[in-house]
Amino acid sequence: MSVKKDSSWEPVILAFCCNWCTYTGADTAGLNRMKYPENVRVIRVPCSSRVNPQFILRAFQKGADGVLVCGCHPGDCHYATGNYYTRRRFMLMQRLLEYNGIDPKRFQAKWISGSEAAKFRDTVIKVSAEIKALGPNTKFAEGYYAQNEGGNE
Amino acid sequence: MGNLTKEQIQDRIREEAKKALATGEVSCVVGWTKTRFPDKTKPFFAYTDAECDLLVWNEYCINSTAKYALDDRYPEQKIGLITRGCDSRALNRMLKDNQLKRENLYIIGVVCDGKENPVCDGCQHKNPLTYDVLIGEPVEETINEKRFTEVEAFEKLSADEKYEYWAKQYDKCIHCYACRNACPACNCVECYADQYRVGWQGKAADREQNQVYGLTRVFHVGDRCIECGECERVCPMHLPIMRQTKKMLKDINDLFGNYECGLPDDSKPVLGEYKLEDPDEFM
Ligand code: SF4
Ligand code: SF4
Ligand code: SF4
Repeated sequence: MSVKKDSSWEPVILAFCCNWCTYTGADTAGLNRMKYPENVRVIRVPCSSRVNPQFILRAFQKGADGVLVCGCHPGDCHYATGNYYTRRRFMLMQRLLEYNGIDPKRFQAKWISGSEAAKFRDTVIKVSAEIKALGPNTKFAEGYYAQNEGGNE
Repeated sequence: MGNLTKEQIQDRIREEAKKALATGEVSCVVGWTKTRFPDKTKPFFAYTDAECDLLVWNEYCINSTAKYALDDRYPEQKIGLITRGCDSRALNRMLKDNQLKRENLYIIGVVCDGKENPVCDGCQHKNPLTYDVLIGEPVEETINEKRFTEVEAFEKLSADEKYEYWAKQYDKCIHCYACRNACPACNCVECYADQYRVGWQGKAADREQNQVYGLTRVFHVGDRCIECGECERVCPMHLPIMRQTKKMLKDINDLFGNYECGLPDDSKPVLGEYKLEDPDEFM
């Protein structure tokens, strides 16, 4: 992964979006021709609780600069309870990543319903700006030894 | 401690082990025996009376006996286990995770007097919590005020300092999986780390794969860790693994209330349940 930071640099952001709420919200944003940063790659998942914490580690490893997990508001889960597990899981994951040196802005979670197209757009704009300000992510990224001499001595 | 001397406890262990074998229901008793080093013992499986006389009890009985119960998940006879407080919590862990059946175990509990092991200083449960027979009088339990002090101190470092620290630790890791093999919470029949073709994690023992392994394991055991310290003790590269697992436990304590694993209650792991009134940071 390139770590050069120049004015043309755009972050790579993965957004895991639950099929029933946020993905629909993103769809609505598109239908309404709302403009939001194109550096966000949306990955549709059946439920926010489908997102394994390991996906986030792997995303950083493979070159993502930020990860966003979005799902239905608590109480609105299509599967009734999925997002309650998401909530616990990612509150802990965010703290564990912070403890390992990852800025909590680089991994965020948000509840966005199917009708909240504007919230989707605003969230994506905000997250994208925050990550742009942080710069490229090199933490957990692949190829450390290739780019840095020595490595494990 | 208190009522029985080490020799008396050792005699009682041998006596109870023989009694257990004599019932015909127990195939072997897992404990410790001496090695050629005066300051080391090794895990030992006693199948006969003569072997029971080789069981020892001293400050060097350090290895956890509990996880050996997993080596035979469907035993024809009961497995006997010499069990300290930490071993009993490990057994509770595996019982709660439905990896063992209580009726397959014969638990000889021993009130522990502390071992030559750093985690013993912070031990909150020297009395076995689950047992069939108990050797020794239960002692008063202590609260470890310093349970999270190391984590709290580490949290104060800057993001880059934290990252550098852990990255260098994971540089050392040789991907041997000893930490997983020793851990009572790592009781999966098939570990994700062995599923190379699924692609969860690369095979190379380099920084990035080790980071993924280390953090994934921490997260997997995070809400079930019994704080026995086995992972850290067995790590040949001396990674401070409990500094990560305790971080998870500390956050769980802060967010979801006082939490300790391996107790003989019917509580579920924190990530396996939820409450409607949990704090919400994602609105
Ligand atoms: S202290 Fe280590 S070995 Fe013991 S339960 Fe926790 S993670 Fe597993
Ligand atoms: S690392 Fe995870 S998958 Fe592997 S044994 Fe431990 S808990 Fe199970
Ligand atoms: S025991 Fe240590 S070296 Fe081995 S896999 Fe675990 S952390 Fe890495």
